[in-house]
Amino acid sequence: MNPSSSFVCLLTHVRFEWTPLDADSPSPSLIAIDELSLAAGSSLFVGGASGSGKSTLLGLLSGVLQPRLGDVWVAGLNLAQASAAQRDRLRADHLGVIFQQFNLLPYLSVIENVLLPTRFSSLRLAQSRDRFGGPRAQAEHLLRSLGLDASLWARMAHQLSLGQQQRVAACRALMGSPQLVIADEPTSALDEDNRQSFLELLLRAQREQGAALVLVSHDRRMASSFEQVLDLGKV
Amino acid sequence: MRIWLSLAMASAWSRRSALLVVVLSVSISVALILSVMQIRADARSSFSEAVSGVDLIVGPRGSPTELLMYTVFQLGRATRNMPAETEQAISGLRGVQWVVPMQLGDTYRNHAVWGSRPELFERLRVRGQPISFAQGRSFADPRSSGLQSVFELVLGAELADRFGHQLQDSIVLTHGAGGPLAQNHEQTPFRVVGILAPTGGPIDRAAVISLEGFEAMHLGWGLGEFQGLRGALALLKPLEQLGSVDELKPRELTSLLVGLESRGQVFAVRRAIESIPTTPLMAVLPGVALDDLWRALAVGENSLLVVGGLVALASVLSISAVLLVSIASRRREFAVLRAVGARPRGLLVMLALESAFIAIAGIVLGLCAQQLLIYASADSLRTMMGISLRPLSIPGEGWLALAAVMLMASMASLLPAVRAYRMSLQDGLNPPYV
Repeated sequence: MNPSSSFVCLLTHVRFEWTPLDADSPSPSLIAIDELSLAAGSSLFVGGASGSGKSTLLGLLSGVLQPRLGDVWVAGLNLAQASAAQRDRLRADHLGVIFQQFNLLPYLSVIENVLLPTRFSSLRLAQSRDRFGGPRAQAEHLLRSLGLDASLWARMAHQLSLGQQQRVAACRALMGSPQLVIADEPTSALDEDNRQSFLELLLRAQREQGAALVLVSHDRRMASSFEQVLDLGKV
Repeated sequence: MRIWLSLAMASAWSRRSALLVVVLSVSISVALILSVMQIRADARSSFSEAVSGVDLIVGPRGSPTELLMYTVFQLGRATRNMPAETEQAISGLRGVQWVVPMQLGDTYRNHAVWGSRPELFERLRVRGQPISFAQGRSFADPRSSGLQSVFELVLGAELADRFGHQLQDSIVLTHGAGGPLAQNHEQTPFRVVGILAPTGGPIDRAAVISLEGFEAMHLGWGLGEFQGLRGALALLKPLEQLGSVDELKPRELTSLLVGLESRGQVFAVRRAIESIPTTPLMAVLPGVALDDLWRALAVGENSLLVVGGLVALASVLSISAVLLVSIASRRREFAVLRAVGARPRGLLVMLALESAFIAIAGIVLGLCAQQLLIYASADSLRTMMGISLRPLSIPGEGWLALAAVMLMASMASLLPAVRAYRMSLQDGLNPPYV
C-alpha cells in the first residue's frame, strides 16, 4: 500500500548528512526528521538559521538529494528509492520550484518562461488543458493573478525588475497544476513592499491552483501566513 | 527534442556576438577548402576540354608541358621555333589525317595572336564542339586567294566583346608579348572579317590570322633589331612591291596540331615524328602532358588543402573552447532547466545542437563567401590563367569536406556536453551563484 496516498509529501525517519571531507571533522549539516507530512493544497513554512539544513530539506523534497535513512514520499513516489530518471520525471510532472533569484531563462520571453513546464511534461500540459482549456490560457490567468500586466508578457525575462521576475517564477512553478511547489528563500532578494505582496499573491495563487507549498526562509515574520510551520534546528 | 531545438536556438542567439567569431573561423576554413577544390576541378575540366579533337601537338624537342601550355593556352614562355618544312614532313607520315600549323608570339592588347590556316576552324574542337562563326567568315587562305587577303583577321568571341569590335574594324597588332616598350605593327593593320561564337576555350581570347599575315607583319623586322636604321628602312619596303604570296611563305613555325586517322596509331606516329632525322622534334599527347602538369601542381594543391584542413581543425577546436567557457557561466541556466523538469541528458542534446548550429552557419556562410569569391574572380582567372570557373559547381569531394567539417563540429561538442552533464548532476537545483 502506498503510505503517501493522503499526503502530497510524507517524510518518515529521514536522516541526512553530508559526507565529511575528512574523518576528523564533524558533518557540516544534518537533517533528522522523524515524521513530516503535507496534505494536498496546504502550506508549510520552514524556518531556521543558515546552515540548519533548510536547503538540504528542499534538496530531499525535489529529489536532488537522497536521504541516508528513511523515506521521502512525494506525489506517490518514494524518492529515497527512485532512480534518477524517475526523480527527473517526478520533478517535471509534479513539482514547481522557485529559487532565491535567477529563476528565468534570460533568452526567453516572460510567457515562454511560464509555459516551460508544460513543454517538458505532457501530464502538466494535459492538466492545463483540462482546467484552463490550454497552457496559454493558464499562463495568462496566472500572470494576471500575480499582478503582471499583459504588456510585460512578450518582454524578455531579463528586462523585468527583480520583483516582477520572482512573480513570473511563481507563475511558472504553478503552471500545469503541480502537486507541490517548493520555494527557496524566494523573497530574500526583494525589498519590504515587494516581499509582502509577493507572499500574498503566491499564497493566494497556490490555494487557487490546489498545490501544496513548502517555503523555506530565515525570515520568521512570514510564518504566520502558513498553515504549518517547521523550525529546523529544533526538530 | 523539439523543445531542445528551440531552446538551443534561443540560447545560442542570445550569445550570438561571441559565437559569430567562431562561425567566421569555420566559414574561412570552409571557403578555403572549397576554393582549392573547385579551382582544381574547374582548371582540370577547362584545360582538358580545351584541346579535344587534337591527337598530337608537335614542336621542337623540349618540355612537353611547356609546349602544350604555350601552344594551347598561351601560358608560359615561347618555345623555340622549328623550320616550316616540318609541316610537309609530318603530313606525309602514314596515319596522319591533318596538320594545322601554329605561329605564336605576337599579341593584341595582351591577348595572343594565332597565326594559322583556315583549316584550324574546321579541326579544332572545344569541349567536343566544333568552332562556329557568330558573324562573318574565316580569313581566306592567301595561298589560293592572293595578296589582298593577307591582312584578314578573325576575333575570338570574348576579345570582340571586350573591345567592342565589329566586322571591318581595323586592328593594329603588337610585336611580342606587349608591355610599355613594345612596338606596334603600325604599317600592317588587319581587317576583322569574322567573329567566332563563344566556345569556353582559349580561342575565345585569340586573334587569328593567316601564317602569311603573320609573316607580312614581320617583313624586315629581324634586320631592324640587329642593324638599326638600315633595318628600319627595310620596314618601309612596301608590301605592294612583293611579287607574289610565295614571298610570305613562313620560314618557321611554333607548333603543329596533328589529327590522326585513328587514335590507335598515336604511339606509332609519335615514334615516327620523333625519329625524323633533320630536326629534333617531339610529339605531345595533350592528355598525358596535362596529367604530368596536374601531378606537378598536386604538391601545391595538397599543401593548400592541408592548410584548409588545419584551419578547419582550429575552428572546430574553438567551437569546443567557446562551449567550455560558456557552460561555466550557464550553470544557472542549466539549473533552471533541471528545475522545470529537463533531464540532464537534455543538456547534452542542447550543446550538441549548439555546435551543430555553429557548424551549419559557418558552412553556409563559407559556401556563400566562396561562391561570391569564385563569381568575382572568374573573369580575371579566365583572362590570366585560361581557367573558366563555374559558379555553383561544387565538386563531389567538396561536399565530402563539408560533411567532415560537420562531423568534426559535432564531436567538438562532446567534451563540453559531458562536462555540462556532470556539472548539472552535481549542482542539481543549487548551482553556486556566479
